[in-house]
Amino acid sequence: MSDPGADAGRLFVDLGSRVAETLARLRLARDVRVGCTERRAVWSDQKTTLYEYLPERRAGAAAARTGSASKSAARRKGRPLLVCFALVNRPYILDLQPDTSLIRRLVDAGFTVYLVDWGDPDDGDRLRDLNDYLEQGLGGCVRHILEAHGLEALDLLGVCQGGVFSLCYTALHPRRIANLVTLTTAVDFQTPEDLLSRWVRGLDTGLLERAGNVPGELLNALFLSLMPFRLTQQKYVRLLTGRADQRAVEDFVRMERWIFDSPPQAAAALTQFVRWFYQENRLIHGTLELGGRAVDLKSVRAPLLNLYARADHIVPPAACACLGRYVGSRDYTACAIDTGHIGMYVSRKAREEIPERIISWLKARGGQLRPHP
Amino acid sequence: MMETPFTTGSREADAAFTGAAARFFELLKTFAAQPSAARGQAPDWSSFGSTLAGQFEQWLRSAPAAGASFAAAAGFPGAAAAWPPGAVPLGPAAAPAADAQSAWELLMKLGQLQGELARHWSAIAQDSAQRFIARMQATGGADLSTEGALALYETWVECAEAAYASTVRKEDFCRLQAQLTNTATALLLEQRKQADKLARAWGLPTREEADAMQRQIRELKRELGERTAQATAPAAPRRPAAQRPKATKRSRPKPANAGRSRRSRSVRRGRR
Repeated sequence: MSDPGADAGRLFVDLGSRVAETLARLRLARDVRVGCTERRAVWSDQKTTLYEYLPERRAGAAAARTGSASKSAARRKGRPLLVCFALVNRPYILDLQPDTSLIRRLVDAGFTVYLVDWGDPDDGDRLRDLNDYLEQGLGGCVRHILEAHGLEALDLLGVCQGGVFSLCYTALHPRRIANLVTLTTAVDFQTPEDLLSRWVRGLDTGLLERAGNVPGELLNALFLSLMPFRLTQQKYVRLLTGRADQRAVEDFVRMERWIFDSPPQAAAALTQFVRWFYQENRLIHGTLELGGRAVDLKSVRAPLLNLYARADHIVPPAACACLGRYVGSRDYTACAIDTGHIGMYVSRKAREEIPERIISWLKARGGQLRPHP
Repeated sequence: MMETPFTTGSREADAAFTGAAARFFELLKTFAAQPSAARGQAPDWSSFGSTLAGQFEQWLRSAPAAGASFAAAAGFPGAAAAWPPGAVPLGPAAAPAADAQSAWELLMKLGQLQGELARHWSAIAQDSAQRFIARMQATGGADLSTEGALALYETWVECAEAAYASTVRKEDFCRLQAQLTNTATALLLEQRKQADKLARAWGLPTREEADAMQRQIRELKRELGERTAQATAPAAPRRPAAQRPKATKRSRPKPANAGRSRRSRSVRRGRR
């Protein structure tokens, strides 16, 4: 018969040693780099920067080019694909590390991939509203790319809140978007499973707007509080006790850096988003107006691929799955992936299934994908 | 107290890891200290449950990510924030004291709401412990091997999340969550009124005045954008969109949307 006291002693010694090993690896992983694909800034407006990602063979030569050479080079490149990420997190999650980088997969497939980086709003941006982000920010990026490539329309990939922006932009400027892909994008903001929606529906957005920009830490705490034990306890215990090797620890640290690296939110834009989308659900009710123009999802007629996660605790699947009912696209494909919200960007699914689906879907919808020279 | 890698004081682990692991070891100690587990007798589940619930409630109250206290995590004033109630509201002091009274009332309201929140934390902790004990009774108690302890921890987290989810979805919790944020924000704005008074006394622009200037600048930019677009708009309509290169080079119309910044530019910056 075992001695419970001795069992407990062995347990603590064993777990203590596992924790000590992982901590040693964590110290070595403190300086891990995030972002893996070479990129360069090609346009900016206020805090917004448009990046172009470079295929490995071209990356070395890019720095020496002049502006006009760059424009003519752009016309020879692959078909442009613009990625629009959310305001509430940093977009480098899509290019966190080589083995999970969605952006690298898209570049390798022959697309010229552009990404909108919204930057960090400061106190001078507190009045910057959703229309500013959409027309000056996203719209400016679209116009720059179309001009550089000599095209009338481009492919747009919207991620999370960036997917909502992409839908709105496509509804307002349908001729500029050839194909639209949405990733974990809510359309119905009041589905029963949506805890975030329940929590923010009673917020006084007028008060919040007067209080100024919202710190990133606040939003982060809000997201963590959706599942606090898994997200602030269990995941650390699993790492510390799971005998993770150095690579797994570094992967974990990269994710951790991204999770806690949240930009502040411009007061006007955030409160409009809360009020118009979460509290009033205007997108599906057809009552949304931006810059004085009605945003009618029926105006979205471009081919549309809608990818969402079955186990998403931030954007529930039901909030995304209904998109087909509201858009005017005849060519609409929806696909639920067996993973969670973050898993859509960094999991094994992100590594394999998601890029493949996006690439094959886009390739099947017109445009010549020319290999990079 | 048993030494763990987190009680030596010499480590430099990040606070998140330290906190989670310390909580984990605390739970394990609670599991290991069960009288029944030590003697192989029928477990005293009620005593065990109340110990677990007590620990859990303490953590819930202190963890900024665990619910409605996120307002305080962002630096918004919480119940602990010092707030001078002001001078006795008589004579010339009457007007400033009215502001202080308003802030004091908000502070009292915040305290009351946090009391309500504490009751929810207590309910979640009790519910978690009950769920956990039910699971342990079904499986016959704790196994103190390493894998057994880790499995027990997973069970504990599942029970805690289930209890938490069942409470925080309720209408009264959601209402409370919003009230807490609204009250904390209102208190912040009250405090800013005092700062604005100080700014005026020193001849500095207040927040409202700075906002008014920003609105004017935005309006001017919008107007400028509209005029620029009108001045450069071509007479001919654009041809339909297509995913193909243009056959000939032609001048491209400026965007019709307003407010495009004059600072918009192509840039070539350092690569990462």
